[in-house]
Amino acid sequence: MTVKEKGYSHWKGEFEEKRFPWWPITRYGIKLTFKRKFFKMFFFMTLVPAFVYLVGIYISERIEDFNFMIREGTELFSVNPAYFKNYMTNEFLLFMIVMIMVFCGAGLISDDLKYNSLQLYFSRPLKKGHYFLGKASVIVFFLFMVTLVPGIVFIFMKLIFSGNFKFIQQYPWLIVSIFIYSVFITGFFAFYVMLLSSLNKNRRYVAVLIFGLYLFTDILFGIFYGIFRSKYFSLISIKVNLQQVGAAFFKQKTSYDISWLYSFIILILISIVSMLVIKKKVTSVEIIK
Amino acid sequence: MSIEIKNIHFSYGQVKALDGVDISLPKGAIGLLGPNGAGKSTLLRILLGFLTPDSGEGSVLGYDIRTQQDVIRKYVGYMPENDCLLPGMDAVTFTSYLGELSGMPRQEAMKRAHEVLFYVGLEESRYRMLETYSAGMKQRLKLAQSIVHDPKLIFLDEPTSGLDPQGRTEILNLILDISSKKDIQVLISSHILSDIESACSFVVILNKGKLASEGKISDLKQIDYSLYEVRLKGEAGGFINKLKELNYRIEQTADGLLKVYLPQHADSQDMFKAALDEKVQIRHFVKSETSLEDRFAQAVGVD
Repeated sequence: MTVKEKGYSHWKGEFEEKRFPWWPITRYGIKLTFKRKFFKMFFFMTLVPAFVYLVGIYISERIEDFNFMIREGTELFSVNPAYFKNYMTNEFLLFMIVMIMVFCGAGLISDDLKYNSLQLYFSRPLKKGHYFLGKASVIVFFLFMVTLVPGIVFIFMKLIFSGNFKFIQQYPWLIVSIFIYSVFITGFFAFYVMLLSSLNKNRRYVAVLIFGLYLFTDILFGIFYGIFRSKYFSLISIKVNLQQVGAAFFKQKTSYDISWLYSFIILILISIVSMLVIKKKVTSVEIIK
Repeated sequence: MSIEIKNIHFSYGQVKALDGVDISLPKGAIGLLGPNGAGKSTLLRILLGFLTPDSGEGSVLGYDIRTQQDVIRKYVGYMPENDCLLPGMDAVTFTSYLGELSGMPRQEAMKRAHEVLFYVGLEESRYRMLETYSAGMKQRLKLAQSIVHDPKLIFLDEPTSGLDPQGRTEILNLILDISSKKDIQVLISSHILSDIESACSFVVILNKGKLASEGKISDLKQIDYSLYEVRLKGEAGGFINKLKELNYRIEQTADGLLKVYLPQHADSQDMFKAALDEKVQIRHFVKSETSLEDRFAQAVGVD
């Protein structure tokens, strides 16, 4: 290997005052996720429900074209807030969201811990908040792609297919609900995944934790509910809590007859605890006592 | 002064890492020496703003170490001691990514990444995944990322650790080139004295969290004693005791060589008189060059 075949030259440019100094972290995070084996396939599968619901919206507006499919006098389905709630909280979508988190979130912090790269980030003019924001935005990007974006597209398509603004006049709060619920579920998963990713240096363990914890809480709920028949055990399940909050945000009846506020508080508490733990776990230097 | 700190204290819980350190460092290549646990890495981390001192004040390139850490990091490069990389990237992506995080525009960072990788000798491997890099290549890459944003000052933490002799020489040559010809100040933290001696003009020695010595290497080598290497035939015990009575410091190596440190005004003839008295023959008598190692040993109080 030859050293100094070409001399060192000073850089003539000037540093930029970037509004979003964390953006390179997000951009590379997204890029690296797309490079992962099978990710594109999983991501496509996650978009399948969105496509199906979009077709549903089309059918609902062109019902006369599909009369052959339904019995006379019956309604195939109607597009209303419940339709949106069903999309946002359906089990398949939540499951696929967790799968996406496994791909894009497991190594977010754990890889940096494993390869000692935190000091590389923090030796740059980057604050801890920028680092977290950059990492969390990777999760935000993928979750918005399967929650917020389809939700907004559904509304637009509904308006286009119907050719009038009746739908939006009928449910003016629906866009806000889609936005708030997307932000809520994305925020929760961002903290949940980043917490687990900061707990271990091995991304495989983290992947198992992300997936396992989600399933485990649901299985635990099933077991306790089977034994004690108490609806309050639903609060153990991450999935049920997300569905309860989703139902409330879309002004629908919750699946379990308990206040959605309990679920909301539990998920917020998990997020706050996660934030505190992540902050403590991510230090720029290993301090040896 | 590029780096100036006054009365810096820092503790990890009950363990004092830095205890009232005052340093004023001039421009040029500076060596930071000290045995393990002396506080070298802690000092570097404080200068970079990774750690906030418990008390004391200081500045790097004129920027306050307590309040202007972000600005300091913009103009300072850091080459960490241990292996650190970002998996899934090649060297060009890695280096330009870190350039971008330093505040460089994206296109400029990419262009600059190619230049510095060429400079450190990684031009042929710049598109290889970092996971496949050897120890020597990783050291070069760490150096490349530390200079990608053209810093005014570089902190190098054990830059030659884990390298074979040839790799060590090549890295030292690069450091020497950067510090001597490119108007970039370099602060090298190391416990390999020969590295410091070959690359630096000024040295700071820390011991147990305190400043043990500082100054130009050439001045530090002008120490207040003469060093002689002596080999004897016969029992050395009486000879050593006799010289110790005359306040000479003596070290004995494993192969029986005696290193005799004579105080400034002492007469070397005293050694021959002592040999005559103790009936031993002096078979080897050479005045030795004092090295940084001698000064280091004196400063940290080890034989």
